[in-house]
Amino acid sequence: MRKTKKALACVLMGVFSSSFCWAQDDLMDFFGEDEGPTVVTSAFKAGRIINVQSPETSGEGEMNFIIAHRFGRLSDGWYDLFGLDNAQMRMGLDYGITDRIQVGVARSTFGKTLEGNLKWRFLEQMKGGGSPVSLTGYSVVMRDGLRLPNDGIERKGVHRMSYVHQLVVTRKWSPEFSLAVIPSLVHRNLVDQPDRPNDVSTMGVGFRYKLNRRMSVNGEYHYLLPRPIEDGLHNSLSLGLDIETGGHVFQLHVTNSRGMFERAFLAETPGRWQDGDLYFGFNINRVFQVRETR
Amino acid sequence: MKNATLILVFCGLVTSVHAQRFVTREAQISFLSETPLEDIRAESKEASAIFDAASGQLAFQVPILSFHFPKALMEEHFNENYMESEQFPKASFRGAVAGLDPDKEGEQIVSVTGALEMHGVSQERTIEGTMVRDGDGWIVEAQFEVACEDHNIDIPKVVTENIAETIGVTLRAELKLK
Repeated sequence: MRKTKKALACVLMGVFSSSFCWAQDDLMDFFGEDEGPTVVTSAFKAGRIINVQSPETSGEGEMNFIIAHRFGRLSDGWYDLFGLDNAQMRMGLDYGITDRIQVGVARSTFGKTLEGNLKWRFLEQMKGGGSPVSLTGYSVVMRDGLRLPNDGIERKGVHRMSYVHQLVVTRKWSPEFSLAVIPSLVHRNLVDQPDRPNDVSTMGVGFRYKLNRRMSVNGEYHYLLPRPIEDGLHNSLSLGLDIETGGHVFQLHVTNSRGMFERAFLAETPGRWQDGDLYFGFNINRVFQVRETR
Repeated sequence: MKNATLILVFCGLVTSVHAQRFVTREAQISFLSETPLEDIRAESKEASAIFDAASGQLAFQVPILSFHFPKALMEEHFNENYMESEQFPKASFRGAVAGLDPDKEGEQIVSVTGALEMHGVSQERTIEGTMVRDGDGWIVEAQFEVACEDHNIDIPKVVTENIAETIGVTLRAELKLK
């Protein structure tokens, strides 16, 4: 009888001491249970990869002031100081209505173009279940502001307008590398030459590779459709460097596109890299929180 | 026979104590970086906490992405440049509570010794706080400081006037019996 009791005691002690140990070890298991999918953020640093839209929008209540410069042709040489004498400018304001919806206005010296735009990141890339890519829609209306030429052709206000709609499909593959595929539709109410189509489209790709926490290399390429494209027009290729310093993002780049709004660089790029038709440019992004929301 | 009874009583005690776990998934953790130029505040209401009364172990964990700032850009910089939240998505603290009398009513000052892990660096810390018995649960509160340098969080020279080297952290959890 005594022996049985002892044995029983041992067994019971064993059982409960083991359960006691288990009680300590699984303390952190409680935390494991709440691992839901999380949003993947910051695929790109600024609202533009170089020329084209990235999936990033101004945060809620944020006003982003973008000053972009695009100088003249590098191949112009010393006389124009490799293009620095001939700067074009685009000034834009982007405002975040929510963290995912942004409206903007901008004015470019190129064609004295005024634009209004809307950007909506309607699907986020998720980690741990959910969408593998983010989807961002961008639409822009552009108004050409040049004085009408006296060539006998009757033009109305509506003929100054052009439109671009695009979808930015982005995946951030790693903290360093993000890739975007960007199909675009361009519509011009009036084209500058009779044999040009009113509607063209482009298929673009863009990437970012982070060199460190403050700098990244960016690039983008847009393939113009339908083929064959017209004489004198080319695909847009741009390479750049993003530098972040606190509240500013500086973007330096070299591109064969001179205009800094969508119609111009997607559909009306006249130069080629191999001919030295390259333009140096930079964007400065400065963020102001105009409405504190959280 | 006496022995057997003792054992049974002991077992009963162990199991009942074993059940004494207090948890929450809505603990609040906020922090403040104070410099003459700028005060930066952020708060998370999505921290998890668990207290095991039997072992006296207390643990917290918070997703870095759940900290929200008044300005979206601050939040981006916090995640991208300082905490590198994609690589180190969580901060945690796990330690043993000392100086707690589980049956005492009212506020008790306790100290918890354990490991504070954030930004991939674990630091042995003793953190003082208070625990109050609250019906079926516990309210845990603490204030402590974290030096960025201790966790390899690099503050570049250009922003040293805007971001403090030592960040004040405030924590509050209302733990309920699981």
